[in-house]
Amino acid sequence: MKKYIIPVICILMAAAFSGCQKWKGEHMDIYSYTPPAANPVSDKAPLSCSSSGSTVIPVKGTMLTGKTYTVEDGCDLVINPTDTLLMQPGVTLNMGVGSSLIALGTLVSNGSKNQPNWITVPGIVKNDAPGGLTAAADPAYAGKWKGIIGGPTCNLLVLRWTHVEYAGLTEGKATSTIAGSGTGNQYSILFANYNGNFIMEDSWLYGGVDDPIRISAGKIAIFRNTFEKNGVSGGDCLNAKGGTVGTMAYNMFMGTATNGQKASNKGQATGAPQTNIVMYNNTFVSGGYRQVQSGRGGCINFEEGAAGMYYNNVAINCRFGYRVVGSPVADVAHLSYGNNYQWADSLSVANQFYPTGYITQPQSTDIPSITTSAKYLPANYTLGSIYDGSDVVQKNNPMFLNFPLPTVGHPLYQYSAIGNFNFHLLASSPLIGKGNTSIKPLITVPLDKIYGLSDATLPGTDLGAYQLNGSGNQH
Amino acid sequence: MKHPYFLNRLLLLFSICLLFSFTTMAQTIRGKVTDAKTGEPLTGATVHLTQDGLSKFVAVNLNGAYSFKNLKNGPYKLQVNYVGYGPSKVKEGNITSASDVITVNVALQDADMQMTEIQVKAQANKESDGAVRSIEKNAPMVINVLSANTIKLLPDVTVANALQRVSGVTIQRSASGEGRYAIIRGMDQRYNSTLVNGIKIPSPDAQYRFVPMDIFPSEMLERLEVIKALTPSMEGDAIGGVMNLVMKSAPSQFTLSANVSGGFSTLFSSSRPFVGFSASPNSKSPAAINGNSYAATYADFSNKALASDKNISTPFSSTAGITIGDRFLNRKLGVIVSASYQNIYRGSNSKQLTPNAQPSAIPLPNSPQFSDAYDRTYSTQTERVGIHNKIDYAINNNNKISLYNLYIHQSEFESRFTSDTLGLGLNSTGLSKQITISNRSMLTKQSIYNSTLHGDHWLGNEWRLNWDGVYSEATRHQPDRTEFFYDANKTLNNSGAVTAEVDNNTQLDHHWENNRDKDISGYANLIYTPKIAGKDVEFSAGGLYRHKVRDADYITYSLTGGKSTLFNNNFNSIPFAFNSAADGIGANNPDLQNNYHVRENDNAEYLQVKFDLFPKLQVLGGVRIENTDLTYATQSPETVTQRSGNIKYTDVLPSIHLKYQLTDNQNIRASYYAAISRPGFGEQVPYKVTGEYYDQVGNPYLKHITADNYDVRYEFFPGGADQLLLGSFYKKIYNPIEYFVVRDGGPSSQVIKPQNDPGNATNYGFEALATKFFGVIGFSINYTYTHSRITTNKLLYSNDPTLGLQQTNVNETRPLQGQADHVGNASVLYKSAKLGLDMQLAFVYTGERLAQVSPYYNLDFYQHAYNQLDFSFEKTIAKRFSFYGKVNNITNAASKIYLKYPHGSLDAKQQEFLGKQDIAGQTLVQSDYYKTLFLGGFRYKL
Repeated sequence: MKKYIIPVICILMAAAFSGCQKWKGEHMDIYSYTPPAANPVSDKAPLSCSSSGSTVIPVKGTMLTGKTYTVEDGCDLVINPTDTLLMQPGVTLNMGVGSSLIALGTLVSNGSKNQPNWITVPGIVKNDAPGGLTAAADPAYAGKWKGIIGGPTCNLLVLRWTHVEYAGLTEGKATSTIAGSGTGNQYSILFANYNGNFIMEDSWLYGGVDDPIRISAGKIAIFRNTFEKNGVSGGDCLNAKGGTVGTMAYNMFMGTATNGQKASNKGQATGAPQTNIVMYNNTFVSGGYRQVQSGRGGCINFEEGAAGMYYNNVAINCRFGYRVVGSPVADVAHLSYGNNYQWADSLSVANQFYPTGYITQPQSTDIPSITTSAKYLPANYTLGSIYDGSDVVQKNNPMFLNFPLPTVGHPLYQYSAIGNFNFHLLASSPLIGKGNTSIKPLITVPLDKIYGLSDATLPGTDLGAYQLNGSGNQH
Repeated sequence: MKHPYFLNRLLLLFSICLLFSFTTMAQTIRGKVTDAKTGEPLTGATVHLTQDGLSKFVAVNLNGAYSFKNLKNGPYKLQVNYVGYGPSKVKEGNITSASDVITVNVALQDADMQMTEIQVKAQANKESDGAVRSIEKNAPMVINVLSANTIKLLPDVTVANALQRVSGVTIQRSASGEGRYAIIRGMDQRYNSTLVNGIKIPSPDAQYRFVPMDIFPSEMLERLEVIKALTPSMEGDAIGGVMNLVMKSAPSQFTLSANVSGGFSTLFSSSRPFVGFSASPNSKSPAAINGNSYAATYADFSNKALASDKNISTPFSSTAGITIGDRFLNRKLGVIVSASYQNIYRGSNSKQLTPNAQPSAIPLPNSPQFSDAYDRTYSTQTERVGIHNKIDYAINNNNKISLYNLYIHQSEFESRFTSDTLGLGLNSTGLSKQITISNRSMLTKQSIYNSTLHGDHWLGNEWRLNWDGVYSEATRHQPDRTEFFYDANKTLNNSGAVTAEVDNNTQLDHHWENNRDKDISGYANLIYTPKIAGKDVEFSAGGLYRHKVRDADYITYSLTGGKSTLFNNNFNSIPFAFNSAADGIGANNPDLQNNYHVRENDNAEYLQVKFDLFPKLQVLGGVRIENTDLTYATQSPETVTQRSGNIKYTDVLPSIHLKYQLTDNQNIRASYYAAISRPGFGEQVPYKVTGEYYDQVGNPYLKHITADNYDVRYEFFPGGADQLLLGSFYKKIYNPIEYFVVRDGGPSSQVIKPQNDPGNATNYGFEALATKFFGVIGFSINYTYTHSRITTNKLLYSNDPTLGLQQTNVNETRPLQGQADHVGNASVLYKSAKLGLDMQLAFVYTGERLAQVSPYYNLDFYQHAYNQLDFSFEKTIAKRFSFYGKVNNITNAASKIYLKYPHGSLDAKQQEFLGKQDIAGQTLVQSDYYKTLFLGGFRYKL
């Protein structure tokens, strides 16, 4: 009983203190002048291409706070190489069926916590209850529009406090040629410039067909985002290929088709750096169940020459554990990992904590402990071999605020959206204080409140995306 | 539109020619024309009589006699010409009333004179080895010729396979081991051109301008010429050489010959049957039938091409041919019709490791990574039908016209079975294997039609005009190529037994691909042969105009099998459907750029002069100008850069050919010529096709290739079929087109793109050829050494100690693709007229050659040295009847392809799947076995 006294007092004091803060209050309302946007994009009529004879709508300038813009069906909204489109906080951009948003120049969607931006398709009703809709019937996976494409000349693409929804339609010949980023793509977001910067912070990505975010190459910073219902029958949610360098941290993934985060050096261009991704404090729930192929992973994956690290991550009921691939081999000499947590409702999940056939090296800092029992892991365990995970099923309950484990009532694959669940930690969580804070993010993008990364949150002491102290993922 | 104007010009010219008329005469000149050495009558030689500025011509008859009747009194000049012989001295005389019959006998030396460069026309039987020797000897340029007699005895039934017997020529084989393209002196097919009777024909190839040489049955040829140095009067797009197929021409008397044969390949047996299939009933795609906006469903497709697979344990190949020719209307009209039919069953067994698009930097830089280990069996049935016909008519002694028609059709039914049970690759592990199987039925129909109207006119003593009006069409159709893929993961337990199978992907592709070239062209040459300073000088001027139209369409429908039904050798039970209904709409086809229309207008003009600088030194020189004007348009949407374009270029191509006659039967030649090579249509149009490892795209910014070519050759013709040729060549090639891997956006979208290499390529070597008969036994041997080098940028994927894995560009110097350093032929011939028996044992050696260029440093694919031994014979069994046989690939030689990477250095996991390796420093990645092919039959010749 004694051990609870101090935390309880602390919580009470904290509650009292924050309560007092609310009452205290002070209000200031001081005039400040903001020059009007030089090139405001008009919201009077839909952005339309049908009169031009081609599919292209060139766009630049500023989309103004509070306004709603509409893109006509089948049009490609194109930011030319020397142009910038700035979306002020509180902009809604309604994408027409079969439309796309192609950034050959600069795109900044500068939403805020209070005024997030929306790049979406209007009029679709979400059903996020577990098992509420089959994947075939769920509009999240239907690919209504073609997504955001940062082409080979895109120097900066920022998504801040922005909802991106219902994308992933096949680009098709015309769109992919304008974007210059390969054909046959079905991504919600594609970035393809190894000299450019892709920054996504505090945003939401809902739905998708293939890889919801494909980084063909680029400098990236992907912090504190929430990903739900990503990929219909395959696709890695954040799929970084050859020439991608940066950090993925404090992201929350629910129900990804395959992996949540994947790094590969496949297709490294001449002049591009080796793929090197630092991943920390991410949370993966029920990943990998819509990938029909077996063995493809369900949370984190390093393969084919990729370097980097992954620490402080949490994987709950993912079909496969953290996967390091042996052929073509990841750059294991420059890959480190540890302090990663896994939870299994069932034996089949526990048996793949270290996926069969791959070369993930069990670490002494992993939870559950690799010395849990004689079966987990046996003394003669070799990398990728079959082991008996029965002793680690349903061990070390992470104590989420609202996600009872083991799950009841639905098969694991039906947990694909957050809805009313809440993955913040209870103070009693065994995830608290287990984090490795000695590692450093790999920051390759500019730091800037608007035209860069506004906050590079350092590795946290608690495992997963949500820190008990309120830092980390803000959703 | 330029060509109607051109046709009008032709018509005018033609009418003018018809206006020539002649006055009546009274006396007679007659005589005999014989070979000065042997005394043989020279049937078919032309006797040219000039009197009062008017010319008359007669042909020498079978006995070697000729006559001119009803001549006027007065002085005359008479000269005899014959292909392969020098012209006779001009015999002058005077006809008086007293001398009513004058006898002039002429003996011709097979020396001095040259065949005309414009076009090789033979009136008489030029099918013997001796006849082609004199062509080689008397031609103004470097040339090698195979006679019909040689071809007949060869073990080969197609022109492509016969070409490998020519000095300096190697062939590139199709999947079933059939020769397809010729590589001349290390220059691959793009550098060579194909002529039929001196006229360029369009290609049915889907991408390129070069013609697949296996489409031509070899028995239709009178001779096969490989011309290795171009004169100004020849089209300039042959840096490597020109293959001129001289088809049989009308004989001097009634001729009938026929042959029929049958045979089999030992590849096929009850355990390894030939897999035949019936063509899909859907010769057109749903989009072609219903329009591009039609949404096709699974019901629109027929799987007959796969479902009709039928095993035949020993399919019987057959060939048949017939040739009929005669001369009518007082020998003025000659007609020949020749038809050939071949139905050949071949195949191969192939083992292949498929490399990943990208190698690994670990353990060594550019370590190959293999994704699949395939066992493939090919069964190919090739049906060829060839018909050709030539009609020549002498309007009068000064004007001759001929009409030539050729139609060739080839249907190739190829079924390919692929099994892969090894489970290589990224998502396979020791306990979970990813396997891929695929079956493909592909019917390719190709045809070439050519119709040439040719005229020859002597415009007085010193002027001669000839012209050609040509219509040609080449088509290729691949109707409903049907391919089925099944990709599954098998889960294994610790003892290796399969415990579960998961269907990763089941796919069914229906593909249509068509292209058609139509050429309308006209050629005209004016030849002026004055005497200047007592020497014969020949000036020629002329040109050509060609209007070419090419249309191509291409569509693939990919259906998926739903992933829930496992494949149990019955794909009819799989519920195929489009992933999204919109994928069935033709307009959504991602390959719209492959539907294109090309119009090319080429014209060329030349001026050349030929004279003897010294009595024994012949000089032929001149210059040719070629203008190319190509316009293309694809169906890509307006927003697609490069969707249409126009490309124009002009080339000035000088050349000079020196021939010094050491003795009557020895020559020394030296020549220089400039030449070009035009990019293929599929290279220049922004085309995109699926390749074996990479997709391949076109590049409208490609420049055409140009080259400077130098040749020297010593020739010795001791008589008969014997010869000795020693030659050397040097070529400098500018803007060579090489294939590079470029990024097409994403990492999985790396594509191969043809680009002009900034470095120049060089190619040099020497050739030796000797043929010698000792009584009934003859030996023929030729050897070519070729050394070509080009330096290109390659990718190196390596592990840098500080920067980590890096991809860098490094230069690699290598031979040109397809070039073998050492190429040789050796054959032993037995020819006994007494026994009526001819036999030939022929051996071909092709040294190691670069089979495919990799974009990665040191990962080029090399074909190991290849030896093939063939045997053929012909025995007369009754008067006019003979029995013949051909045996191909007696030793069952394998075609093997290696990477020059030590297989021992591959990572441990890859080692498991390598299969049997036989060279320590290399990795065997593909081996193809074709087994032995037998053919036997009867020939009848009247």
